[in-house]
Amino acid sequence: MLLEVVELTKRFGGLTALANVSLSIAAGEIVGIFGPNGSGKTTLINLIAGILAPSAGRILWKTSEIQGRSPHAIAAAGVVKTFQNPQLFLELSIYDNVAIASHLRLQRRFGLSRITELLPWRDCSRQAEVVNAIHRVVALCRLDDVRDRSAASLSYGQEKMLGVAMAMMCEPELLLLDEPASGLGEDEIRTLEEVLRDLRDSGTTLCVIDHKVDFLARIADRAIALQQGSVIAEGVPAKVLRHPRVVEAYLGRQHARA
Amino acid sequence: MLQLLVGQTLNGVIVGTLYGIIALGVTLTFGITGIVNFALGEFMMIGAYVTWYLFDVAGLPYPVAIWPAIAVAAGCGFAADQLLFRFTRNNLINGLLVSIGLISIIEAAALLLWTTTPKDMGYVLSGAVALGGVSVPKMKLVVFALLAAVIFLTYAALSRTWIGRAAYAFSQNPEAAMLMGVRTEVLQSTVVVYSTALAGFGGALYATLYSLEPSMGGLYILKGVEAAILGGIGSLIGSLAGGIILGVTEAVGSIYLPSAFRDAYGLIFVVAILLYQPAGLFGTER
Amino acid sequence: MKALLWVPFLVFPALIQSNFILSIFIFSFILAIAAVSFNLIFGFTGQLSMFHAAAFGIAAYVTSLTTSFFHVSFWVALFPAIGFTILISLIIGSICFNFQLRAFYFAVVTLAFSELARLVILNWNSVTNGTLGLMVLDKPSVWVPGAGLIKIDGVFGWYFFSLAALIFTVAVCSLVLGSWIGRCFAAIRLNEDLAQTLGIDTFRYKLLSFTLANTLAAIAGSLYAFYTGYIEPNYLSINQSLDIISMVLLGGRSSVLGPIAGAFVLTGLPHMIDLSGEARAILYGLVLILTILILPQGLIGTLASWRRAA
Repeated sequence: MLLEVVELTKRFGGLTALANVSLSIAAGEIVGIFGPNGSGKTTLINLIAGILAPSAGRILWKTSEIQGRSPHAIAAAGVVKTFQNPQLFLELSIYDNVAIASHLRLQRRFGLSRITELLPWRDCSRQAEVVNAIHRVVALCRLDDVRDRSAASLSYGQEKMLGVAMAMMCEPELLLLDEPASGLGEDEIRTLEEVLRDLRDSGTTLCVIDHKVDFLARIADRAIALQQGSVIAEGVPAKVLRHPRVVEAYLGRQHARA
Repeated sequence: MLQLLVGQTLNGVIVGTLYGIIALGVTLTFGITGIVNFALGEFMMIGAYVTWYLFDVAGLPYPVAIWPAIAVAAGCGFAADQLLFRFTRNNLINGLLVSIGLISIIEAAALLLWTTTPKDMGYVLSGAVALGGVSVPKMKLVVFALLAAVIFLTYAALSRTWIGRAAYAFSQNPEAAMLMGVRTEVLQSTVVVYSTALAGFGGALYATLYSLEPSMGGLYILKGVEAAILGGIGSLIGSLAGGIILGVTEAVGSIYLPSAFRDAYGLIFVVAILLYQPAGLFGTER
Repeated sequence: MKALLWVPFLVFPALIQSNFILSIFIFSFILAIAAVSFNLIFGFTGQLSMFHAAAFGIAAYVTSLTTSFFHVSFWVALFPAIGFTILISLIIGSICFNFQLRAFYFAVVTLAFSELARLVILNWNSVTNGTLGLMVLDKPSVWVPGAGLIKIDGVFGWYFFSLAALIFTVAVCSLVLGSWIGRCFAAIRLNEDLAQTLGIDTFRYKLLSFTLANTLAAIAGSLYAFYTGYIEPNYLSINQSLDIISMVLLGGRSSVLGPIAGAFVLTGLPHMIDLSGEARAILYGLVLILTILILPQGLIGTLASWRRAA
């Protein structure tokens, strides 16, 4: 079991965003977490990634507790998240964006000996290995043709891909994706699914949070349904989607839309 | 000893309302235009000096003299808004630096016009009142009452009138407010001018109590910002409360601890507040 | 290569014999150190620190007092000055960055600490002589091969001494900024939340930037004190911080060398044009305003973007 969430609770003043949520993620699987807006999905992901500290409960990463630790420490431990609204270094090119994301990778490779990087004639970041990694990640996310363009000039779908690319550069063992499909057109969603499958095949465990149920059903090995801060169903996506409580939670919404 | 404490506390409250009126301007400006106008202290100075000139030199009665003073301060505020602040909306660092440039200009102009020799305005209202065993000059009470009244009136106006609600809506969600027909440029300019008018008014009252120097602006804006942070940026009543708390802390602190560090007490207080309660005592985090 | 830019400065004293002009250059070099180092925390890491003048002034006092109380040389006295600067930078930086103070509040808190420092120095009459200031009578000495130990006294010696210090500062800044540390600074400046999730310990790097900037400012302050021979509490005033900020803005905050241009203009102009104190202040205010509104990239930055566009 790679990640275990135990009785996780988060309260904001009087509002309980997450109530006693427990789940686990095994290595190599793609877990989909879905639920309507306000069900606590983003809160859950932010708690795992260290952006929030829980009011109660524990989060175990490879059996050690990580709840409440700072985001950078959790990223260093191997858990990296992407943002729902793509967060980028807008003034820089795509290449430079990914290059900054190589921070953890370089730290792992070279550690303290990076001090020698300060000498003007040595620069680890230009070393072939890292450059190759950057190119690989950029290609994986289908961004090579725009590699030298400024991050500010990207389309929304490309921005999301860049977010994934940067997260991948950190060599995550577990990648948390916060609503990766939202705002994307059908074609872009297909591309996203391909990329995510490629990621899983190369060894990364994925946890995808979204409210686009059909997208999740196609991509996830296992699904977890959240509603108002609690888990209401868990299992194979097809079964979860037919679960009476899930249908009730979503049918209401479907009716409202119709 | 008790008399000293009471006396200092009262002094602190009165000075605190002066801090409060500046703090109100700081909070309003920040909420609606997204910048901190460090030059507000200079507008206070303008109001003070024009009042002094009209009352002492031109011989106008005090209640007549303050209006042109406020008008001049507000007029300068309008000019500053159109020429400078209009281009730094929501850019905190640029707005800060531009207002600092403005301070240099205004303070230098004041030095040229009036030199560093302190100006003492003649008595507007003489006589004192016994309060809590201490003798308090009537003028100080008048100043306190007027400033507190203006702050409360501002608060009332903003919560009840249309323009007030528009301002509040704008500070919460600028795009939505714009879509609902709020003329945002007019709103922002109005707020800037109003805050400079407030500062000018504060200066006009300041002139009745203390002597005037061109450097007074720099001191008061710092206190105003401290008071605004203390009370919580975004809270109007918080500006008054923050100002009074700051004033009293300084006044009472000077009794027990070296008075040379008077200004430091407020600073330490503010740092502590920022670290533990960043929203201030009454504020909502913006 | 960029090293060639320094050559004119090296030969300058041979061409210009005027002590007055060379003196302006010396002041410009020393203040350029303060400006370039301020740009580390401001332009490159994106944090507006109002503590820079305090670092400048505190070190000036510590260096001067150490040489006069303990009768040691300038170089030995630099150690406690730099050590103390590092210590207070770590303390203040930890307080500010630990509590995640952003933008405006960081400026206010650093301003508060700067003012506190100034008040302490102003009122600690027994040690600092308060508002009257202190004379600094010592001069640093340098070992020059061939000539032995020379006292840096007089315009000629100070010119090369301060120029060397400036080159040292620029070298340190360039090395740091060209490394992964500089990339982390940029990440913090551009998008701090993102930097955190990518594994960058923003607390550590902000602290590093703040401490390094203040340490270099400490060197500038010490040099300033020993050159002018006089220190006073105004070294730590808000105005001094604002002067340095103006130099960076005027010169350009996106390059290491930009602030040097700003330092030269703002140090040199007031001496070149004979103006009254008030007129100078008005000019300074206008420069600041015009730079922000019209030349946001500063002189060097604007030049650089013209070259790129061409």
